Amino acid sequence: MELSDGQLVARVVVDDDQHAFAELVRRNQSTVRGLLRQLTRTDMALADDLAQETFIRAYKNIRSFRGDARFSTWLYRIAYNCFREDARKRKELVGIDEEHWQAEQDPQTVDPGLRQDLMHALNLLPLPERTAVVLCCQNGLSHNEAARVLDIPLGTVKTNVLRGREKLKRTLAAWAPS
Amino acid sequence: MMKPMIDDETLDRQLRDAAPYIDDGGFTARVLANLPAARRRPSQLRAIILISLTLLGCAIAYLLSGGGRFLVSEGVMELSSFPVWMLFVFAFGCGLVVGAVAVIFAIRKTPEVHDDLARLGF
Repeated sequence: MELSDGQLVARVVVDDDQHAFAELVRRNQSTVRGLLRQLTRTDMALADDLAQETFIRAYKNIRSFRGDARFSTWLYRIAYNCFREDARKRKELVGIDEEHWQAEQDPQTVDPGLRQDLMHALNLLPLPERTAVVLCCQNGLSHNEAARVLDIPLGTVKTNVLRGREKLKRTLAAWAPS
Repeated sequence: MMKPMIDDETLDRQLRDAAPYIDDGGFTARVLANLPAARRRPSQLRAIILISLTLLGCAIAYLLSGGGRFLVSEGVMELSSFPVWMLFVFAFGCGLVVGAVAVIFAIRKTPEVHDDLARLGF
């Protein structure tokens, strides 16, 4: 019988069972790395470094996981904090970086195909909207869960999701092959 | 030519489909290799300390009481001379003290209750 995330966490806390923690990493690595790739705009090496840091922090602080949220939601929060700290350490002003990145992009050069268009359109969104869309629309978190992960008010999450969705729809419509 | 705008559900489904499953590719192994060394199991250590101290305390009490004469024989004789109501009060008081200590430790060991009490200003 497959153990739930909660049961695996209990094994890590009580017995310091690293095999149980390995199973938790295996189950969640794809979504955590995927989230960080979206946040770092497909910088895979940086995203994987941050994902590794995320899981190591999770292991060190697993006793503070209270079980009132899903384990994956708790991991997303750690991952997002790792990303923010890294951005601060690199002294990159996210707003300026965003504008610079967006100015460099030319939608006409994107590979054809819905998936590429969609991922590219997602990458064009400003960070707050992109993060909210990735968490809520792509990873299925509720607005409440996303607000907890991002440590921002619920209303802000809703606004960012709404704006992000509208921009994606508009961009996708504009990119329709003629 | 512009495509018509898609609805939220379709967009969400397409976003989920567009996110590929990322193969582990040794990622889990790298994380495990970088984990801090396994902590010494505190529950076992605590049990060993508590049992050792309890045995030591029993041995000292036995020796100091002259083979248990003072604590057991004289203590029981002394208690037997108490009136019944006083024995009840004594037992009730002991129960209250032990119960209070147990509740205090239980609260300290339960972060949720501890946080809630702190929030309420206790």
